[in-house]
Amino acid sequence: MTDTMKPLIALSGVSKRYGGVRALSNVDFACGHGSIHAVLGENGAGKSTLIKIISGVVQPDEGRITLENRDVTFPTPQAANAAGVVCIFQELSLMPELSVSDNISITAPPRRLGLIDRRAQRRRAEELLARVGCEDINPLMLVKHLPLSRRQMVEIAKALGRSPKLLILDEATSALTAADVERVYGILHGLRAGGLSMLYISHRMHEIEELADTCSVFRNGQHIDTFPKGARSDEQIVQMMIGRELHNVYPPKPVRNAPPPVALEARGIGWEGRLSDISFRIGQGEVVGLGGLDGQGQRELLLALFGVLRGVAGEVAVNGQKTHITSPAQAKRAAGVGIALIPEDRKTEGLMLPMGVGDNISMAALPSMTRHFVVDRDIEDKKIAEMVAKLKIKFGKLSDPVATLSGGNQQKVVIAKWLLTGARVILLNDPTRGIDVGTKQEIYQLLRDLADAGTAILFYSTDYDELIGCCDRVLILYGGRIARELTGPDITEANIIASSLNLSFPASSGAHA
Amino acid sequence: MSGVLKNIHRPTLIACGFIVAILAAGTVYTLVTQGSATFIEPTYLLQQIKIAAFLGIVAAGMMVVVLLGQIDLSVPWTLAASAMIATAVGGPWAIPIGLGIGLAVGIANGLGVAFLRVPSMIFTLGVNAVLRGLMVMLTGGFAPQSSATKPMIWLATGQPLGIANSVVVWALLSVALVFMLTRTPIGRYIYATGNREAATYLSGINTRFVLVFGFVVCSLCASFAGLLIAGYTSKAFQAMGDVYLLPAIAAVVVGGTNILGGQGRYSGTVVGTILIVLLQSVLSVMQMPEAGRQIIYGLVIIAMLLVYGRNNTVRG
Repeated sequence: MTDTMKPLIALSGVSKRYGGVRALSNVDFACGHGSIHAVLGENGAGKSTLIKIISGVVQPDEGRITLENRDVTFPTPQAANAAGVVCIFQELSLMPELSVSDNISITAPPRRLGLIDRRAQRRRAEELLARVGCEDINPLMLVKHLPLSRRQMVEIAKALGRSPKLLILDEATSALTAADVERVYGILHGLRAGGLSMLYISHRMHEIEELADTCSVFRNGQHIDTFPKGARSDEQIVQMMIGRELHNVYPPKPVRNAPPPVALEARGIGWEGRLSDISFRIGQGEVVGLGGLDGQGQRELLLALFGVLRGVAGEVAVNGQKTHITSPAQAKRAAGVGIALIPEDRKTEGLMLPMGVGDNISMAALPSMTRHFVVDRDIEDKKIAEMVAKLKIKFGKLSDPVATLSGGNQQKVVIAKWLLTGARVILLNDPTRGIDVGTKQEIYQLLRDLADAGTAILFYSTDYDELIGCCDRVLILYGGRIARELTGPDITEANIIASSLNLSFPASSGAHA
Repeated sequence: MSGVLKNIHRPTLIACGFIVAILAAGTVYTLVTQGSATFIEPTYLLQQIKIAAFLGIVAAGMMVVVLLGQIDLSVPWTLAASAMIATAVGGPWAIPIGLGIGLAVGIANGLGVAFLRVPSMIFTLGVNAVLRGLMVMLTGGFAPQSSATKPMIWLATGQPLGIANSVVVWALLSVALVFMLTRTPIGRYIYATGNREAATYLSGINTRFVLVFGFVVCSLCASFAGLLIAGYTSKAFQAMGDVYLLPAIAAVVVGGTNILGGQGRYSGTVVGTILIVLLQSVLSVMQMPEAGRQIIYGLVIIAMLLVYGRNNTVRG
């Protein structure tokens, strides 16, 4: 503990139970003035509960909280806000149908004669957006028209509008692309220089290295250790987090001498000016990455291949067979092989949250378990059990709502749903967002195993490390076109960044050096 | 039905409790005022079940639409139009044509909601008004002179098995519906679509077909109920369906089906139907004035929903 420095906020002996589960047990924790304090831990380690207690969402069962050396209790989030504790939650809290400026001032809009002063509200939004480097966002735009990463910036601006002393960022960068993340770093460093304290929660190791002054590790509801940045190696930190040793994060890539037979071929894909003339091939057993800045057409490309978009130009061939896919139902049966899509937002696009784990897993493959219009429960149970074992999905009962699972296990359910269809082409849209390190690793291994079994994988990720670690080839999109294709040793961070910005190719560190 | 009995549905239990409470309150009243326990006599209860069959069939269809996260407000005139046209046509074609009208209305509703993306509350309200207009046009605004055909009367009132056929029909329909909802892919898709249509669509399921299917089931149930009611009263008449819309929605919701879709069991709808019918009957036997009856009826429905708690709200 940094006893020499007077902490801004300190928790002592804080415990919290949910039913029979101890979410936090006897935690002592302190966060100093003007520092960025990273909180690390796997999903379920107690980070979220810690934050909810500090921000007044839930009440601790035991223990006390002091803010600037005074005992405080936060019965509601409003009370915490009033005391200067502001939280940016993992789930975006913006109203999609309201404008950016309405959202930023939603709790306390500037008033004149009791009515909302729209002009002042707009000025305020402009100022706050400028503080987060987003002058280009029109405050009158509706939030639903902004891409996810911009919404996250609005969220940060909104939090700053409440003049916080302690800003809590819970997975605040998980929706951001690398370029935006850089900008957020700059903003956060600036805020720290201005004396603001921040609690920062992220699953991305290198972000913590760049940002944090102090790190705290949680595991199973306990505070394991707090140390200044750099005092522990990555391996040590990860080991603290998962309580066991972590081996290679990424599974080894196979060495190929000849190109594999083509599983998916796209020729001249275009869509409403957002995608133009995209042609590529994915071989059986290949993991192909999609990279680039956010909003360059990656999501649209995946949706176009999956038949979700209307009016897509170009041709798609699956296993050499020309297909015309106009709905996910057709994609599922394409050319007798099947295409699967793991969507961007598992909570709204991937899962039926109140339905059971089992029902969710079998949802897409029900026709294959049906005899004479009736679902054969024996076959269904058997196939679900296979998937649960294969993906190591953890849950209470199969009938438990999938909403009760952790983020990582929810994502596994989405993947299991599609594996059951036997799809031989799998499209993934940022599948590891907001998932803990251990589960990420399992997903990487799973993708590689699937590829080794002959599945073609197209994998969009906002995390460069993943593209470098997982993919045999990477397609970088820029402005709806393929700007560059990187292969083998050319897949480096420098090359990905340069291609993402559509700069000329820097000297290759691999083959040409 | 074993799936339903395996772990008993909480709202179903609560609704059963309410039924017992209503009967108990009514019995105390009759014991004091008339010295008899009318409400727990088997003849009375059987009579109520017979009446409940009509509402039960309408509520069964309504439940499918509510599970989809939609609502069907065209039920009153789907029911009336089917009955009126069936009696007007008469002869052997009466029943098929009556059901055909239900099928057509259901397809229209389904297409409007699934393809035109008009909110179902608005679209079905419009369809209801159109049907009413058509019926007024066809009959000139007078009660139709024709009467129900023999098969319709037999289906509603005949009792070859010792109990009224309408009850048997309700029971058979219930078994079929439970089977569909719990054992077939389309049943699973109905729940999934009601929970989150986008995720269901992205799972490669034709959600438009599921929506159309749900509306067709609802309209078919309504028109079938119309034929039975026409058989029971031996004629069809204007506005005969109006008294069924709100009780049907109430029966579904009181039975624990989430009005936002995706959650609910059919057993709840059956118990909810019986509850609504008994409540109406007991209140009228107690000679409560109409105003008081309406107030108590409304309060009981709200009270039951409060008892269920609101912990099952859909997230996200």
